Amino acid sequence: MGLTRRDFLKTSIAASTAATVGMPLSKSAEAAVKQAEAGWQWDKAVCRFCGTGCGIMVATQGGKIVATKGDPDAPVNRGLNCVKGYFNGKIMYGADRLTQPLLRMTDGKFDKKGKFVPVSWGQALDIMVEKFMAAYKEKGPHGIGLFGSGQWTVPEGYVAAKLWKAGFRSNSIDPNARHCMASAVAAFMQTFGIDEPAGNYDDIEHTDTAVLWGANMAEMHPILWSRITNRRLTHKNMVVVNLSTYANMSSDIADIEIVFAPSGDLAIQNYIAREIIKRGAVNKAFVDKHAVFATGPYDIGYGFRPAKADQFASAKEMEVVKNEQEHVIDKWEAIAQRKKEGEVVKQTNILGPKPAADWAISFEDFARALEPYDADFTTAVAKGDPDESDASFKAKLQKLADLYIDPKRKVVSYWTMGFNQHQRGTWVNEQCYMNHLLVGKQSMPGNGAFSLTGQPSACGTAREVGTFAHRLPADMVVNVKKHRDLSEKIWKLPENTLNPQLGSHYVKIMRDLEDGSIKWAMVQVNNPWQNTANLNHWIKGAREMDNFIVCCDAYPTVSAKVADLVLPAAMIYEKWGFYGNAERRTQCWRQQVPPPGQAKGDMWILLEMAKRIKIKDVWGEQKIPGLKAEGFEDGKLPSVLDAGKAMGYNPEMSLYEALFATKENKQAFKWPDAVAKGHGNHIAETLKDGWFPEKAMFEEYRKFGTGKAHDLAPFDHYYEDHVRGLKWPVVQKDGKWVETGWRFNEQYDPYCKKGSGIDFYGNNGKAMVMGDLDKPGDGSKKVDISGRAKIYFRPYASPVEQPDKEFNLWLCTGRVLEHWHSGSMTRRVPELHRAVPAAVCWMHPKDAESRGLKRNDLIWVESRRGKVKVRVETGGRNKVPRGLLYVPWFDEGVLINKVTLDSTCPISKETDFKKCSVKVYKA
Amino acid sequence: MNLSGILVVSKPERTAEVVASLAGLQGIEVHQSDPASGRIIVVQEAADIHAELDAIKRIKVLPHVVMAEMVYHYIAEDEQVYEALPPELQAGGEACFVPKDLQD
Repeated sequence: MGLTRRDFLKTSIAASTAATVGMPLSKSAEAAVKQAEAGWQWDKAVCRFCGTGCGIMVATQGGKIVATKGDPDAPVNRGLNCVKGYFNGKIMYGADRLTQPLLRMTDGKFDKKGKFVPVSWGQALDIMVEKFMAAYKEKGPHGIGLFGSGQWTVPEGYVAAKLWKAGFRSNSIDPNARHCMASAVAAFMQTFGIDEPAGNYDDIEHTDTAVLWGANMAEMHPILWSRITNRRLTHKNMVVVNLSTYANMSSDIADIEIVFAPSGDLAIQNYIAREIIKRGAVNKAFVDKHAVFATGPYDIGYGFRPAKADQFASAKEMEVVKNEQEHVIDKWEAIAQRKKEGEVVKQTNILGPKPAADWAISFEDFARALEPYDADFTTAVAKGDPDESDASFKAKLQKLADLYIDPKRKVVSYWTMGFNQHQRGTWVNEQCYMNHLLVGKQSMPGNGAFSLTGQPSACGTAREVGTFAHRLPADMVVNVKKHRDLSEKIWKLPENTLNPQLGSHYVKIMRDLEDGSIKWAMVQVNNPWQNTANLNHWIKGAREMDNFIVCCDAYPTVSAKVADLVLPAAMIYEKWGFYGNAERRTQCWRQQVPPPGQAKGDMWILLEMAKRIKIKDVWGEQKIPGLKAEGFEDGKLPSVLDAGKAMGYNPEMSLYEALFATKENKQAFKWPDAVAKGHGNHIAETLKDGWFPEKAMFEEYRKFGTGKAHDLAPFDHYYEDHVRGLKWPVVQKDGKWVETGWRFNEQYDPYCKKGSGIDFYGNNGKAMVMGDLDKPGDGSKKVDISGRAKIYFRPYASPVEQPDKEFNLWLCTGRVLEHWHSGSMTRRVPELHRAVPAAVCWMHPKDAESRGLKRNDLIWVESRRGKVKVRVETGGRNKVPRGLLYVPWFDEGVLINKVTLDSTCPISKETDFKKCSVKVYKA
Repeated sequence: MNLSGILVVSKPERTAEVVASLAGLQGIEVHQSDPASGRIIVVQEAADIHAELDAIKRIKVLPHVVMAEMVYHYIAEDEQVYEALPPELQAGGEACFVPKDLQD
């Protein structure tokens, strides 16, 4: 490139940048932009990385992406972009992009021990369905499973959920979002009776205080962080607090940094609540009108296999796993839970809905339960840096409490994986609401507890569409008859088609593959054999058991390597889609470029699968081991073939015709459609049925949320040029689609009762049994909780595995800025790969020194479950306290999840990736 | 070669100083500034993302800089990279290859 051309380009880039952030342009600059961008087509789109949901403008020319820029009109990022957002246009072009189906074969036939051989789509889909039907016939609807994703687009997730639940009558579908925000979901449902945050990102510009609880926003949500930084530097009163188990980049501008010990957050939250009460700072008017006090059982286990774990776990692993049956109370739990040190507590509430049981308590009982959480106790269990003095830690605790309590100060609490990936993840989420509700700082601009998400559509798809083992769309669940009835009505299904039995959640699908109860599994838009804790078990389960695993991906991930069939998937801008971000904003994009080779969108793969399976294959009588539900014979789903016939479903009809490409859909949603504005749609064009599946599915999905406080605008409205996503509920007012900024707040939320001010309507019509701290009462006294949120007392509980003589260090895992999740995309961008070429193990210099190690030494990190080789890093961006290691998990060369512990929050079933114990030694 | 457009926000009364310090950084060109709002537009040229990340960190630590974030990224220069891909990886191409990784 000549110098002139480069100079010219720079002028144009400067001018575009200025225009993007709204700075006036000179005439000559405008002309430069015009000339440089001649022939480009700009279109709005959404970033495919984290849950922030930044708007991106994408320029294409001749079927290729030529430039991207932050969308100046996007309210989320206002023209800015982080380094990951930069690479949306590049991730498609890695040299090892998968472009054709690959099947393990020997001598031209499928062989689980064979090598991958390219096959046609026809061959691939035929063997996939043949293996599917064999497993289905042998094991029933719960003998097959689907690992879904918070990166599925809304219509993709909807097709998957409908195919699984309505078609296959199986609830064994669960997204990787289970690893990411299931604890947030469980706490929202328990506290508010409805999912997702009340506030939105504009809270940042309204608040005086941002408290980060286990959320390294500077690295993980850089655009939100730039808004916080901006607020911190332009608003005099703004205070930023960073709570974490190690010092990270977010500490740079934090006014207070609190390094706490793993699980110490449970104690710190209760300390704040105790201070609120002690100082007489409870907002009595708010609490009396809008809240109810509650608690639940403590003996809920740790989310391991509930029975026969020793058949699979080694003796070493059983040292920890045995706590699932009986747990010995340690000295801190004795104080925190009003028990005796050494007491053996049988874990009686581990199965089904038992861990989530709750009941109402009095304020007096609530206050009594908090009594042990004084500064001395909290410092003893929660101080995370052994080199910090008790006095210094206590002073910080007090300052933190001051911030929540100060009636003139607005406070937003933010969290991500530090809270969610937690053996008591649901509890610690609920504790955060506890403090916001006690002081009445919730659901108001600048005030509220706000759960951030890690994936672009964990909210929009996984949660709202309900692609979980227990969920149906719009917060409904499979084990409630009323919810199944409503879903069967919208889906036009015979009564009792839907299966009332909870399916296998993400970790359980892995356990089921290991013990042979699931024999067929599919993976879409995620990487289960890299992202699941205690990996050695699951790799063995995939490769050594008699099962069939299908992996749809754009790149050869670890999961593709352990699969039997690999299907080449289209990526973000190679298809149409919708994502929903962490502030309830639903955003869309059009297909920008065609997928390479034979790659196809995940929705196309699911629809082609549906074409090959008939009503008669799945709607007959089915066995569901362990099923017990009213209106169902034990262990069985009834045949609905006859009832289906009466509704016009011929048993020979394919699920594609019955559920997706129905006559109505083909008539109402035709492709091509004017909304495309010249953009293609490889799925509609390959199906060749003349319908527009993304639009048809979105419009059908909308029916679930409309009128139920989950309302969405019509498909076409989101694609209008001036629309930059809308925060649901989106309700029509005076002919306009109006979004909701703050939920449960009458001023903003049309679902609030007139005159209520604040109305937590998610709990309308519900009641709780009154009890005491230890047990629910006899049921004679009930409390109506309509319009109220629950303030839970949740105790401190020690981590189930802690450093000991042999495994003498904590291990915490997570992400780094340049890479995203398992790195299957970001590692393909050569520049990103060079920035952090391989994961390192951050270690305190003294811990390294005392083990005879130095920076860059190759070491083994070993736990009771496995070991990996990695290099030591004693400096850099993360400063860990003595006694704790941090290893990111993006690098498939350092499969740190071979080491991590597969303990989950017993309520949310989300794995705790943030704490287990390890030893290190020179490799 | 990475070309990116970056927005730098300085304290308004210090814009001139920040512009001067930016001008002293290698690979940075200041194209426009607005002392009223403290906003400065720079174009950064960096060999790779390493350099690019370091460069933006250099900007963030300059005195009186409130924030610095990327806005615009030009990728058409990757044309050579794109053209170097095997034909089956290019849009619309027919593929027939198995990544080496999968055969471990």
